[in-house]
Amino acid sequence: MNPLDPSSVSEQRASPAKYKAELRKAVRRNAHESEANFLNITAMLDIMTIILVFLLKSLGESSAAVPQNDDLRLPKSVIRSQPSEEGVLVTVSKSQILVGDNKVLNLPGRESLTQTGVGAQEKRSGPNDLYIVKLGNALQAARKVDRRVREAKGLDPSSSEAMIVADGTTPYRLLIEVLFTLGQSEFGKYHLMVMQGKEIPQ
Amino acid sequence: MESSNELSAGQRAKIRRLSAPRELAPDEEGGELNVVPFLDIITNILIFVLATVAVTFTSTIDSTPPASGGKGVRKDIESTALNLTIFIVNDGFSIKAAGGNVAPGCTGAGAGIAIPKKNGRYDYEALNDCASKLKAADPAFADETQFYITGNPGTDYQTIISVIDAVRTEKSNPSRTLFTDVNFKVTL
Repeated sequence: MNPLDPSSVSEQRASPAKYKAELRKAVRRNAHESEANFLNITAMLDIMTIILVFLLKSLGESSAAVPQNDDLRLPKSVIRSQPSEEGVLVTVSKSQILVGDNKVLNLPGRESLTQTGVGAQEKRSGPNDLYIVKLGNALQAARKVDRRVREAKGLDPSSSEAMIVADGTTPYRLLIEVLFTLGQSEFGKYHLMVMQGKEIPQ
Repeated sequence: MESSNELSAGQRAKIRRLSAPRELAPDEEGGELNVVPFLDIITNILIFVLATVAVTFTSTIDSTPPASGGKGVRKDIESTALNLTIFIVNDGFSIKAAGGNVAPGCTGAGAGIAIPKKNGRYDYEALNDCASKLKAADPAFADETQFYITGNPGTDYQTIISVIDAVRTEKSNPSRTLFTDVNFKVTL
């Protein structure tokens, strides 16, 4: 039996054309209603995924990505200024010194660090010298790249900037050695990275 | 055959039956992707990322190469300047300024530790008071923001940062800046 054939209906009151038109209308109406039964979340999913990727990317590139662990824990400060994003990253942890992501040298124990810094064998001319040769070599390579970057950006290429990420227990002797070596490698400005705190820690 | 504009009861019933949305067979339902677990994961990661960002705020303190090396980027200081220098020693803070060594208790010039330790801890509040007092000693020092810092070889980086914090602004009036430009000195 053909459902669209009005002759198959025993009691016919409407014309076949009217019957077919009503049937088509009803099919269309019901089709629309069924579509509205579930929520289309594809657009929301797109937005959430984009936000997530954006957040992860910005988190990875920002200074907030400094890892906090037993080997490297930033000192706390009450300063509230925006962190500077400019400069070559120099990391001084309890066990090593890095320039960018590259390890430059391993550090001796704290007792030795407070007496002779990184050690006479790593210096240019004995234990009282402040220049760390391996760090200096790495910084000079970084300086060459940074000089070109600064020229391309239209910044003053005569000196570079450095971002110092150092552990809170770093002894003053080692800190000065690192800063001195930076100065000798044409780095004229340093940004000491700190973690924001509410009060001055004792 | 009699026809009319009105649908008969049979016709209406048939239209209702034929126009009803077709129920999906069990095997056809699998065609729709179930994104609820995916949404759960995304939401959790999003909250975690936002929470992590909120607790790791960092700042930077600007400085220049240590006094015994590096390139000459430091500003020249006039002879009438305060030239505040803070020595972090084991017993407290020794302070030197234009008039010479600052006496204990930050009262005039004289030998000794200007700000001794209090209960075995560095007294940052007294250091702040002393810096404020020294800056107010002469109107010529009002615009001076540079100071020098030096420490024992074993002084912690955290202590150095705390000293920098202590002399940055006046505690009783945080809008008044004291010494914001830090320079390191080498006395090893």
